[in-house]
Formats: sequence, C-alpha cells, structure tokens
Amino acid sequence: MAHVVQPLDQPSNYKDSQSRVDRQKQNELLSGSTTLYVGNLSFYTTEEQIYELFSKCAHSEDGGGIKRIIMGLDRNTRTPCGFCFVEYYTHAEALASMRYVSGTKLDERIIRCDLDLGYKEGRQFGRGKSGGQVRDEHRQDYDPGRGGWGAQAQKAEIDRRRQTEERYADAHDGPGAVAGGGGDWKEMGGTTENKLKRGRSPDDEGDNERMGQRTRTEEDMEGERM
Amino acid sequence: MNFDRPYRGGRRRYPRDDYDDRRREETPQDKVKNAIIKLGEVDPVQELPIVEAQVRSLVPPNVPSLAEAFHISVTEQPYKIPYYAALLRRLHDTPEDGNPEEPSLGGQILEEFWKGFQAYVDKLAWRETRFCIHFFSHLTSAKLVAPESLALLLQAFTTVLDEFGVSHGRAKRAALCAAEGLMIGGASLKAISPSSPSEIINALQTFIETTTNAKWVVQPTLKLHSSSVDVENADELLDNALAVLKALDSVDFDTPCPRPYSEYPELNSVFFTPFTLPLEEESDAQVRREEWPEYFLRLFPDDISPDPNTPAGYTVRADLLAMVDIFEVNRKECARLLLEYPKWTLPGTFKPKPGAPPSEVELVVAHDWQLESTILETVLGALLLLPESSQKQVYYISLITEVCKLSPQTVGPAVGKSIRKLYNGLSDGLDVDISRRLTEWFSIHMSNFNFAWVWKEWVPDLNLAVQHPKRNFMRRSLELEIRLSYYDRILKTLPEAMHPPDAYTIPEQAPGPNFEYDDPSRTISTTATTFTNIYVLLAKPHHDAAQNILNLFRGRSKAEDVVAHLDTLRNTLESEASETGQSLDNVPSLIRIIAIQSLLHIGSRSFSHLLNAIERYLPLLRVVASGSSSTPANGSPEAKADILSAVASFWKYNTQMIGIVFDKFMQYQIVDPTDVVSWTFDHIANVDESERDFRAPMSLNVVEWELLRGALNKAIGRVSMSRRKLTALRKEDDESRARAKASGGNMDVDGETKEEPPVAENPALTTAIKAFSSLTKEQKSVLSRTLEGFVACLAPSSTAMHANPKVREILSENAWHDRANWGKDEWNAWETWGWYRHFCTAYSPYLRSYETTLATISFTRFEGQADPASDLLKKIWNVSIGQE
Repeated sequence: MAHVVQPLDQPSNYKDSQSRVDRQKQNELLSGSTTLYVGNLSFYTTEEQIYELFSKCAHSEDGGGIKRIIMGLDRNTRTPCGFCFVEYYTHAEALASMRYVSGTKLDERIIRCDLDLGYKEGRQFGRGKSGGQVRDEHRQDYDPGRGGWGAQAQKAEIDRRRQTEERYADAHDGPGAVAGGGGDWKEMGGTTENKLKRGRSPDDEGDNERMGQRTRTEEDMEGERM
Repeated sequence: MNFDRPYRGGRRRYPRDDYDDRRREETPQDKVKNAIIKLGEVDPVQELPIVEAQVRSLVPPNVPSLAEAFHISVTEQPYKIPYYAALLRRLHDTPEDGNPEEPSLGGQILEEFWKGFQAYVDKLAWRETRFCIHFFSHLTSAKLVAPESLALLLQAFTTVLDEFGVSHGRAKRAALCAAEGLMIGGASLKAISPSSPSEIINALQTFIETTTNAKWVVQPTLKLHSSSVDVENADELLDNALAVLKALDSVDFDTPCPRPYSEYPELNSVFFTPFTLPLEEESDAQVRREEWPEYFLRLFPDDISPDPNTPAGYTVRADLLAMVDIFEVNRKECARLLLEYPKWTLPGTFKPKPGAPPSEVELVVAHDWQLESTILETVLGALLLLPESSQKQVYYISLITEVCKLSPQTVGPAVGKSIRKLYNGLSDGLDVDISRRLTEWFSIHMSNFNFAWVWKEWVPDLNLAVQHPKRNFMRRSLELEIRLSYYDRILKTLPEAMHPPDAYTIPEQAPGPNFEYDDPSRTISTTATTFTNIYVLLAKPHHDAAQNILNLFRGRSKAEDVVAHLDTLRNTLESEASETGQSLDNVPSLIRIIAIQSLLHIGSRSFSHLLNAIERYLPLLRVVASGSSSTPANGSPEAKADILSAVASFWKYNTQMIGIVFDKFMQYQIVDPTDVVSWTFDHIANVDESERDFRAPMSLNVVEWELLRGALNKAIGRVSMSRRKLTALRKEDDESRARAKASGGNMDVDGETKEEPPVAENPALTTAIKAFSSLTKEQKSVLSRTLEGFVACLAPSSTAMHANPKVREILSENAWHDRANWGKDEWNAWETWGWYRHFCTAYSPYLRSYETTLATISFTRFEGQADPASDLLKKIWNVSIGQE
C-alpha cells in the first residue's frame, strides 16, 4: 500500500443500481472481483479490440486470462451502446487493468474501468430506465475530424459501422444467452463431467438455467475464498 | 498499518461510501505524520525547521508513530532521503527549553526506526532494506551514526555474496545494498578505516566475475558467434555500481548528492547492534524471478542523459527506477513525480525547463541533462529488461503515455528519438523479445496518440530482406495497431509505397475470416496446411456439405444431431472417394476440418459469438477431438492437430483470432497445451506454396512464439492455480482436523454452531492432489515438447525433411558481419535462435525443476558430435538453468 500516492485500483462511485446486495456485501464482492465495467467505449469498438487491450493485463502464468467479454447493448435496437464487461479469471488482473488501462485510449476514446460486482443475467442491456449501469456517457457522433476519406474508403467505413451495428442482432435475453468463457481445469472422463458439459439447444432451457446457477455459485464461492 | 490518507487533501478514497469507511477525524498525530511525509512540497531546506517545530509541538511525542512516518518517507520517497536525514539530525538536538539529560527525540526515533529496519530485513523486503541503508549512510555522513556501525552493517551484506550456493537474485540485492550504502557513506568509512571501502569493492568485483555466463545469456543483443559478453548500448546494473565505487574511491567518496545536513554541528554518534541477515527460505511453491544480471539499454549520448557508470548518473537512474517501481500503483502520480524529480537533485543536474525563470540558486554541477530523455531511457530500460521486466509491460507503456500527456511538447521528441534509436538497433542484433515488446509499446503508444507516426521515413527500409528485424517490426507494429483500431484507419496512416502486397508491410485486406467452403466455385485452397491436396481433389462438393452443417448450427440443432450428420457425411464421402479410386485415409481429417471451420464461421461475428458457439457444441467438439464418433476420451493427437489446423486456416488472415481460439480450446479442454506446442512445431515444418518467398521452414516468428507462449503459460497457470487450491484445501483440512480434536476434548458452547467436522479423508483434497499431479505432468510435457521442437529446428539432423538451410551457417562471426546480405532464411534462423534463448531464460524457473529429464530427452543424441549448433543449444540451456 503506497502512502504517498493513492492507488488507482480502488473502487469508485460506479455502482449497479439494480443490485440488491447491501453495501458491505458489495464491498466484499468488489475486493475479490474479477470483472470490470468498461465505459466510454465508441459504439463501434469490437470485442476483439477490447480483448487486445485488456489481454495486456492478463497473468496467464498465474492461471489468468480473459474469461469473457460482454458487450453492453441497447435493449431495443440490440446495438452496442458504449459499455462492456470484461471478466478475467483472477482478481489481480482486474486490478492491473484499473491501474494500467483505465484512463487510456481505445479506439481513440479514453475509456474508464470500474471494478464490478460480477455479471448477472440481463445486465448486458444497459441504459434507459431498465438498464442497470449508471454513468451516462455521451455518444460522440461520427467524427468528421478524421478527414480525408476517399469515396471508396468512406464506403468501407460505412460498411464497417453497419456490420458492427448488426453484429448483435441475434442477441437474446434469458438464461444461457451469454457464454461462460470456460471454467477451471477438470479431470476428464468422469460421468458427471459429461452431464455437466452437455450441449445446449433452445428447447433445453431448464438445463441451461441449472447450469447457469451452478456456475454462479461456484464463482461466488471462489470469490469468497479470495 | 492504517495510514491511508491521500497525499493531497480533498480527495476521498471511497466517496459516497459511508457504510464502513467513515472518514476519521485527522488526529494531531496524523497531522504531524503527514507533515513529515510531505516534507519538501515547495522547498525542502526551508521547510526543515517548520516540520521540526511541528514534530516537537506534539507533547508527549509518539515515537512509534514518528518512526513510522520516517519509514514511510524513506521507503516510499527515497529521493528525499538526504532531507529526512537532515530532519532527524535536527530532532537530535536538545531544544533550548529541553532537558539535556533526557534521550533526544531524534535518538528515540532512530532507535525505533532501527527496529522497523530489522523487520524489513527479516521479511527479506529488499527494496525497503536498501532505502533504509541509504538513510543510515546519510545519517553516518551527518554524524548521527558511527561509521564503525555502518561498516559492520554493510559488511553483513557483502557476507551474503560468499554464502554457499547463493542465488543470483539474493546476491544481487545484497550487493546493491552494500554498494549504494558505500556510495553515500564512503567518506565516513574511509576516514576511520581506509581499507573498508576496498573490501566491499573487492567483494563486489569477485561476485561480478562469477556472473559472466549469466550476463552472456541476458545481454540485450543476440550475437550467436560470440561467447563473450559484448554489449555496446547497454549497461549492467552491478557493473555500473562497481565502476561508480571505483571512481568514488579514487576521490575519497566525494559523492555528488545533496547533503543538507552538512552545515550542522558535530555530535556524538549512536551505535547499532550488528546483525546477520536471515537466510532465504527455499520454497518450491515460490517461483524465483529476477535472478539475472540487469542490462539497461542506453538510448542517448552522455550529454543528453547521464552515464550510469558515473556517480551522478548512477544516482539519477537509481532514483528514477525507484520511483517507477514504488509508484506502480498510480501511474499518473508517478509521471508527475518523475517530471518533478529535478528538485531533489543538485542544482544544474538537469537543464531548466524551457522558458523557466533563471535559477536563483547557485548551480553546484553543470550536467544539463535532458529530463524527458532521461526518464524515457530509464522507463524503456526497465520495460526492455531481459528476460522479463519486473512489472507488467503495459505499466511502463501507460506510464510513458502519462508522462507524454503531462508535457507533450518536451516528451514527444524524446519518444520519437527513442523509437528511432531502438528501431535502428534492430539491425545490430537487438533481442527478439525486446523487439516484440517494442512493437507492443509502439502500437499502444500510437493508439493513444492518434496513430501519428511518420512512416515515410522507413520507406527506404523496404529494400531490406523481407524477414529483416526492421521489416518484422513494421509488419508486427501495424498488425497490432490494426488489432487496437481497424484496418482502414491504419492503412491511411501509411505512405503509398507501403500499401502493395509485395511491400510485405500491411495485408491487402482487413483481417477477416477465411471460410474455405464459402465459395461454391472454389477449387484451389490457399490453406497453409498439408491438406491442400484434399481440397483440390474434393473442393466443390464440400461447399454443399459445409452449408448443410452450417444450417444445422444456425438452426441450433442439438450437438448429437450434428454428430449424427457428420457420420452420414463420412459415409457419403467415403463412398465417393472409393468410387473415384481415391484413398479413404483423408476423409476423417476432412470432416473434422469442415465441422470446425463451420463452427468457427458461426462464431466469427465476435468473441462472444465464438464462446457461445463453443459452449453450445462442446459435446460435438469433444467427439471431433476424440478422433471417432463414439468414445470421447482424452482425444486423439491427429484429430486435435486437425482441429488446430482448421482454426489456423480459418483465421489465417487474423493471427489475433488464432491465439484467442487456441486459448479457448485449451480452456474448454478440447485440446491440451501440449497439442498446441506439437501443432506449432509441425505447422512450421510445412511452409505453404504462397508463403515460400516470405518465410523459411522450421522457423519461428513472433506469431508462432505467441502461440507457444500461450500454451506454455496455460500449462504453467494451471499448475499454479491447482497448487493454490491444494494449499488452501490442506490448510482447511488441517484446521478442521484441529477443530475436531479441540471440540472432542471440551464442551465449548460455541461448538454448537459448528457442524461435526469431517474426520475421514477429505474427498476434495484427494481430487485436488490428483489434479495437481496430472497438471504437473502436463506442464512437464509442454516444456519438454517445446525444447524438443527448438532442438529439431536449430540442430536438424542431416536427414531432416524441412530444415532451414541456413540454420547452422549463421553461427559464425563472418556470417554475422555479412548480415547486410542475409535473406529470409538467415533472418528466420536468427530469430528462431532468439526465441530459443528467450524460452530458456524466461522459463528457467520451471525448466530447472525438470532439468535432467528434459536435457536427457533433447540433448543425448548429440553426445560425442562436433556440431556448433548443438553446442550452442546446450550452452544456452546450461547457462539458463544455472548449470554453467
């Protein structure tokens, strides 16, 4: 703990307004959090761009890495709306991002990270009355200052943007809609194993729900241990 | 320690958080503590009497709290140590109204401080220990500490160098403590015992002489022909310390550093109790790092940034490095403090800021170094340290960004000059991992500063061989820039000359997917795999086959239905093949590739889509990996190689995605890290027709190295996680056993709330032990397979099918001097050697655990051979694992 300067990896005033847990519990969760809320993204920034930057804070030699990225979507239009969650495997990685990545540029915008309580079903739909995350970022519209587009380049640019806008048209609500990203290593070949790894299909919702819950409890326990 | 108030008032740690972090009232004690820590906000010399008065105003004094303030100040702001020595010296005087019989306040604080110092030593907190020694040395110079006791203290550190089997890291840290203590307090030591400085110097020199081999393997340039240490543009830390001490010894340690206490009157000295350093505890759970000599690259001439072989230069670099290290928790504040550093140096050390009013103080020295260049050189030196930087690389990169943001006009040019200097060094053998880190820095830096780089100036370098390190640098930097931004954005930052495909600088198109079965008329595949012939053979029908599978995926069919469909497809393809008289052997591979490519296709929209596709079809992936449709076990190596080949060809234009998919396939245990390593070495043996003029066979470039690194780290990470889990479970188990024992003995009321603890074997523990053993085996196998792979690349047998023809030729000195005429084969071979050296040094903590087995497997076949390649392989290996 540095006494002369204030560390950058402290929780801020960011909060999940929908969260039902009390403040003390929230602080406990944050002190072991592996998830970041990332705000002020361009609407056109892709998950791969995010992956690239945030992977610089991964401690893969310690069993870390990027578990998953959940793009924040507008509930109505299903288009990215300027925030995402980045989930790592370890708490140290989330802290490293707070110290080294938060406040730097991605896709030419200064992004901001906050430790998050952890992704819960439905939280990818932000904004508006029903959206959870509070901190309104103002959308910076198409920046003509980039200048000098030829007609062809402009078309490519428009295509790129349309592609990003359509990318999440298939995003849907409900349990199992967001992938887990892969858990801890397990011995293969057991019978319970096969059951757990069973595939999902639309008419398999019940199983999905159970699985979702199971993952969550495992994670909670993990969080508490840390 | 609960002292966590911000440095500057007004900012709250948990704003709005009033639940459990209620802001405490600042006590008078805290105020004094803060005043001590903040000493020198404006002018340290003027503030000394004020802070002294504040400390004395607190009656009675709280000595532990004051000593803690000194501890924080000394260990977190080492550049202020001379002023803290002065403050303590002032507190040693008896105030006018004081009782001269009582022990002085300064003396009491020092006594308490000493206890804290011993605690650092006991914890082997080397950084804190070293700065305390700086403090004691200044106190000796201020006549508050007896020189004899400083001599004993420093001796305790040089003794470490003689310990039997001392690790390099421990010896290095102890040597620095002794050397830096001597630099500051040398004059006092020499006055009482003219020989004591030379004893320390000799001990240091003797130790340095034992490190020649270690220096050879981590020097920042890769010169394969030479077994001597031959470094022009970098300085080794201990070498610097030795040079400085020798220089100082010849001038009786007239060390150029601020000594604000020098005017104060003499006093009686305090003696310390001499002590011995505790031995380092060897723990196999702990991975020993920073075990190497430290070479810091020099980027500027001596009149721009200080030469660390000089006393003044050493001090500047040591101070800046300390700040970079200490303030890692807040890069923004760190940047600010770095730019404020000149105020802690002797006037005249740095050039004044442009436009600053002429200095009122008398210049003591006339170095006139450039602050920004010096900061850049120091931070980059730390970033580019081999085999690894001590902090995450992205920290140094973000720190430079912050320094630039604070003073763009002055730092910008220093950044540009640093990039050019390092870029030019690429022609002279700058190490491959340094080059990799440079591309990371370059791309992230540009991403923060509008991608504004004058690429035009590197156009003439397009005449260099296509695999020349400079061209690799350009290509890789652009690739990383595109990952952080997007293709069209980056393309337009380049001059026309770099656009065409034969400029081999930027790809022709954005890095999209390459679905082999997209186009119904496609007949010739450009895949880089050995399966090219199959595609040519059976290209057309696969479009339809792939479409059918795609439709199943899109319709979210159940995994077992897709598996059934693949079985049908196999029958169809097999009967087709036999009708046309073709071999059936390739059919299983083909089906795997179609299935995997189709799955990747539906997952190609985004990383999340990929994860969804994988999770939905995990059972399918396991069946494919098993090599047959019936028994998903641990998978068949051929099937898993096919899966990886399918990924590599699907994402052949996007190396980032190859890395991501490999990582997730390992995470979901579709493939193992060993599969990835094996695949990578097999893959580079077969250079695709379309890449022939671009790369040599059996050569690794940074892309393949990253795949290897991903696999190595996955295996290592699993072991370290599993070890943590095991340790926690063991502790838990021990505790519950202890509880069982305790509650069995007495009737504690509290015992009621606790359930009966398990007395029998803990099944979770058993599982964890089993997992740990499997994962350790996997780790060993990954390391072993990587070593074998490198050996096959670098010392191919005469019968090897795909060897790089130049792999041995480049080892001679003449060859190196002729490098201006090297082509792709030579540079590819050179780079592969570079990754081998990096593998051995960076992974040595893990390799050491299995040194005998690994060496036996890989090197036995060279026994009795006279082969420079195998000799070099073995030498790098032996030095890295500490056997030579």
